[in-house]
Amino acid sequence: MPAEELELIQRSLNGDLEAWGEIVSRYKEAVFAVTLSILRNWADAEDATQDAFIRAYENLRHYDLSRKFSTWLFTVAANVAKNALRKRKRQKEPPFSEAEDDPAEEVHQDLRLAAVRRAVTELPEVYRLPVMLYYWHGLPVEEIAQVLGVPAGTVKTRLYRARALIRAKLVEEGVIRDAVG
Amino acid sequence: MRWDEVDELIRAAVAKDVEEGQKRLCGLEERVIRELARRPVRRSFWERVREFLSRPAPRWALVGALAALLLGFALGRLTAPTPIPQWNPNLFVIAAPGAKSVAIVGDFSAWQPLPLSDPDGDGIWSAIIPLPPGRYEYAFLVDGKWVGQDPLAHEYLRTFGEYVSVRYIGGERADRSS
Repeated sequence: MPAEELELIQRSLNGDLEAWGEIVSRYKEAVFAVTLSILRNWADAEDATQDAFIRAYENLRHYDLSRKFSTWLFTVAANVAKNALRKRKRQKEPPFSEAEDDPAEEVHQDLRLAAVRRAVTELPEVYRLPVMLYYWHGLPVEEIAQVLGVPAGTVKTRLYRARALIRAKLVEEGVIRDAVG
Repeated sequence: MRWDEVDELIRAAVAKDVEEGQKRLCGLEERVIRELARRPVRRSFWERVREFLSRPAPRWALVGALAALLLGFALGRLTAPTPIPQWNPNLFVIAAPGAKSVAIVGDFSAWQPLPLSDPDGDGIWSAIIPLPPGRYEYAFLVDGKWVGQDPLAHEYLRTFGEYVSVRYIGGERADRSS
């Protein structure tokens, strides 16, 4: 861990909220990506991101300094988002962020990219977080396994399966041909 | 379309999703600090657990019921059968002496683990999987650890930082190279 980041965490442990604000600034985008992958809704992901930083601060004394900070933080964020998802399911709120999409803008988007975004969004929950952590955060499989709390082999099977599901969806929609080169 | 092209599309798609939502994060630092500053000191999880356990006995009935429910769910998961299509049998085999569990995952099982067995305990684990002719990507899971290079495979691919084996069944490979 960089010395500067360690100092920020130690100051946060001593109750320095400004130091924690700096941590939020550094990681907010990455944490948002985690919560978005689970909740599939920008407004909910924004709330969960805020809650995740609050939860992480309140549990900072449980953070093992020998572990990578981002891995621990992503684990906290994933748990917060999963709880929010369970709550949302109980309340039967609409899950997808599609309502927020601007249809006019989507017309101008690359259709293939839009189809892939839909396919990723429609993946079952268990696959969306590993996909985000691998393709957006660029985390190695072993680190994703730590965040998810599952063996590395399980992460790999989820990534393979997710990719196969996305590809099958694109073939079904006629976006790509059914042949692998 | 090649798999690496699919990978690139997925990478671009998730980046676009995050990018479009990012404007919502403006001022998040201040909101977090404000919220933390106005919160009372929070008791730890263990403090709350201790308080819960010190309450009268009826709570234990709830804990017992929950444990029984979880056990039933876990057993149900472990014993759920995995459907296999009825095609010509193919032998998948791996030497894994001392392993407690061995499974195979592949595109033929939608990357869900299918167990291998070692009935005589000699460390040679095998499964016969009926498959139609075609090209199949797979790997073994030995005690949960990924083993992507099967010596009996026709070729290997490297994806997600690890190898997978490729096997061609029923002359598919000859068809592709002609």
